[in-house]
Amino acid sequence: MNFDHIDIIQSLIDGVLFGSIYALIGLGFTLIFGAMHKLNLAYAASSIAGAYSGLMSLTIFGLPPLMAFIIGPIMSGVIGLILYFVCFRFMPRGNHLAPLMASIGALFFIDELIIHETSGSPMSFPAILPDAYFFLGEFGIRGDLLLVMGFSFILMAIVMLLLYRTKLGLGTRATSQQPVAALLCGIPIHRTNSATFILAGVLGGFAGCLLAASVGVLSPLLTLPLTVKGLIVTVIGGLGSIRGAIVAGFAVGAAESIFLLVRGVNERDIYVFLLLFLFLVLRPNGLFGTTINRD
Amino acid sequence: MKKFTKKIIVSAVSALLLTSGAAVAETEINIAGWGAKSGPLRSFGINSEAVMSAAVARVNEMGGVKLADGSMAKLTYNYSDSACNAEQAIAVARKEAAEGKSLIGIGPTCSGAAAAMFGVFQKQVDDTGDTGLQYPILTDTAVRNGLAKISQWTFRNTPNEPEMYDRLWAWIAENNPDLKTIYGGTETDQGHSNGTYSKVIVQAATRHGFTWATGDIEGLTGDIASGYKEVLNSSSNWLQADASFSVQARAFRRSNADVLIISSHPFTTCGMLKELSRQKVKPKMIVGLTSSSSAEVMKGCAAEAEGMIIPTSFAPITEAAAEVAALATANGGDADLHSAAVWENVMIIKQVIENVGITGDPDMIEQERRMIRDGLAALTETDGLLGKITRVQDEGEALKPYVFVQAQSGSWNVIHDPR
Amino acid sequence: MTYLLGILQTIGVHTLLGLSAYLLLLTGQLSLAQVGFFAIGAYVSGILTVIFSWNIFAALALGSLMAGFFAFLVGFPALRVKGLMLVVATISFSEIVRLFFFNLSWRVNVNGVEVGPDSTQGFREIRYFAANGWEQIHIVGLIWFVVMVVMLALWWLDQVRAGAVLRAVGTDELAAQSSGINLTMVKVAAMTGGGVIAGIGGGLFAHSTTYVDHHTFVILLATFAVSYPIIGGLRSVIGTLLAVIFIQGFIIEGLRFMGDYRNLIFGLLIILVMNMRPQGLLDGHLVADIRKLLSKLTKGGKADA
Repeated sequence: MNFDHIDIIQSLIDGVLFGSIYALIGLGFTLIFGAMHKLNLAYAASSIAGAYSGLMSLTIFGLPPLMAFIIGPIMSGVIGLILYFVCFRFMPRGNHLAPLMASIGALFFIDELIIHETSGSPMSFPAILPDAYFFLGEFGIRGDLLLVMGFSFILMAIVMLLLYRTKLGLGTRATSQQPVAALLCGIPIHRTNSATFILAGVLGGFAGCLLAASVGVLSPLLTLPLTVKGLIVTVIGGLGSIRGAIVAGFAVGAAESIFLLVRGVNERDIYVFLLLFLFLVLRPNGLFGTTINRD
Repeated sequence: MKKFTKKIIVSAVSALLLTSGAAVAETEINIAGWGAKSGPLRSFGINSEAVMSAAVARVNEMGGVKLADGSMAKLTYNYSDSACNAEQAIAVARKEAAEGKSLIGIGPTCSGAAAAMFGVFQKQVDDTGDTGLQYPILTDTAVRNGLAKISQWTFRNTPNEPEMYDRLWAWIAENNPDLKTIYGGTETDQGHSNGTYSKVIVQAATRHGFTWATGDIEGLTGDIASGYKEVLNSSSNWLQADASFSVQARAFRRSNADVLIISSHPFTTCGMLKELSRQKVKPKMIVGLTSSSSAEVMKGCAAEAEGMIIPTSFAPITEAAAEVAALATANGGDADLHSAAVWENVMIIKQVIENVGITGDPDMIEQERRMIRDGLAALTETDGLLGKITRVQDEGEALKPYVFVQAQSGSWNVIHDPR
Repeated sequence: MTYLLGILQTIGVHTLLGLSAYLLLLTGQLSLAQVGFFAIGAYVSGILTVIFSWNIFAALALGSLMAGFFAFLVGFPALRVKGLMLVVATISFSEIVRLFFFNLSWRVNVNGVEVGPDSTQGFREIRYFAANGWEQIHIVGLIWFVVMVVMLALWWLDQVRAGAVLRAVGTDELAAQSSGINLTMVKVAAMTGGGVIAGIGGGLFAHSTTYVDHHTFVILLATFAVSYPIIGGLRSVIGTLLAVIFIQGFIIEGLRFMGDYRNLIFGLLIILVMNMRPQGLLDGHLVADIRKLLSKLTKGGKADA
């Protein structure tokens, strides 16, 4: 493929815009990991499941398309809470492997449930601003993704506010740093963790709906790539770092887009993963992580 | 829930029928089906089973199959889930071959699973040094190029894409002399979409005088597979689970081609079509992959697919085909170019059983499977839903009649019938 | 019988995959690179028997050595990080390997037929076993011989100092380091060993299914690889085998009659097992109970005599 500097800037724009979706998913992973130091692999699946339930509520109750973006996140929050109870709540505290494995089980279950209900066939998802495509000189910009980007900044601000300005946030941070000490100080750990899972779930639901809206089609094929992208963003940003997750989301989107342009689709992911591997080895704390968060 | 209750009733009724059938006719002929009923390609298995159950019911309504001694036997079937997974498809094949009472199998829907499964079969019949399975297969759905020749025990009744796309481009050239240039892309990590695009579709277009919109491709002539690596390099491609198509759609737009080719399965076909419409790309024509001429594209992106043209080996245009489509829907599936083949397969099996004359005696099952295989290999022509199907004998493949369909306001309508 | 022997092949191959993850989990490292090593073993030994007409034993040996070599190479940088970082680093390794084979097209004319890996179209007809007159029972014999050797080796490892060192690193790195254990060396050794085991498993897999393509080696298979030892429990190699029998034998094959509902039950059963037995099916208590029971039985036997 032939390309010049205009193509490069254009694919950077495309990539960063699409990276907003990754940023949102990474944000949720980071929240959960930051709070419990445990990995919830069913997280991206629950986001997609939220988007599906939003879509289904439209067809079942005949609601206006906008409602999908409200019902989806709510359902994801509920699924998040359920996941906390079935995969994390009753596991021994020091055991990291058992909840991880249980969340893998939940990933399989959610995926298969979606496939069961839809026969795995792709479903059309209402678009946000379907006709908003701006031409800025030689560059094209997707209006819907611009909106998603704005959204991700707003959500990031809300999460930061919640974490640093509310009692719940204080509890979450305390639990994440010293669970036992937090418990001794009278912080209800389980209630705090439940709240974190609900919050992360709602965020994921937004991400799932926005992803579906920006592709225009929803398919169970999306869960595994989204899980992997979410993990990547979490570690590049630095474990537990909110701004790190956002910046990393854009960075991963941009890297994908550039390698797609320069090396073609067959080799795109090789370079993305190679870069990731080097980054991890050379800078194991991520962009904004601190050594304390290293686990 | 409704579906579930219906299923219970259907299975209860069929169980009753089976028991009453067993009381009347003592011999039963069993055929086995398997395919993906879990995982993202679950619709393959659902559709195939829906058509299979309808076809078997029809055979029994007509009295069953005629055995060597002139008596009639009921046809029964069982369908298993092998989840598009090589190990599972092989496990079911081994189970049927070793323990099942089935005479022949129809499966395993997915091309990748089929490529693995066919490999554990005996390559050449009568080769005593080859310990592969000896059990006949007449597969549907798995359409990837050149699978059946892996073993002499495996046969396919799937569309012949080289011929279909050759005639499609000839027809486009004849009816739209103003269309000159082409451009396109494919889902490269799927064997079927990739192979058909880079070795069949683009070459067929070249054969009929279309030129590549962004300059000539090195090594590309009208011959199948000519310059296929360069074709892929000159195209703008994506992967099966990709969600962002901005870069690719822009390349499509820049090419300014008269005809765009989108060779992929429903999910990314829809993703790509939606991005093209977002970027306001309006080609004069879009050509798609055979596998996308299904109900899924209509569920995912009916509006954006409007006008897309695809050759397919199934459309409800004959009385028989319309009936199969209706029966499949009643059974909770869809008849499309993949699953409708199951109906033909069941009818072919009935015909072969009656041609070679078997007893249905469980003790003779190994000899009779061999007779079925030889009977299948000897067929030169079979009846299909759209007309006569020619068998390519030494390869175990089929040449099926086909039509060209176009997406028009939410459904696939036949725009040309070359039969 | 053919059916049962087929299932035994699957269980054997997956046990090897699980054991390779088990070895690394003993040192407390969760690695999703196992599927990468599995893929290297599969492709290398497949290429050797198909294109170069090598003998199966030599091909399997070289395949597993190659996988071990790559495990060694990737172990040094990757094992500098741990926890979630390691999970992601190993995912990238496995994906790079998978994408390499996705792009690999190496078609060679052997006896008038074009064979070899054909990128997306997959690597067909790895038919060494069937073409050389191996009966099912021979294949099963070979696979289970390898499984037994690996299991015995790992069991023996646990009886000598090396096993104690591995577990010490897994239980408390800091303490292990202060008692003079070279952490990197131990972890890289475990990674290399795991690579060799996964590599031979991959070679056996390719020859038993006759076909591989890049879809076979997705991250999903890597999660299966770590699932076996986690579900089985890290107390003993038997746990991994039990877990493979539970997943491949019971859930996937045994529940096939449940048709549509099998895969839904799959996830639920995993969640249920982990909640009921967070240390795995075969956890410390169970192992102790079995020991007690055994000693009681033998003692009882003696008293009777």
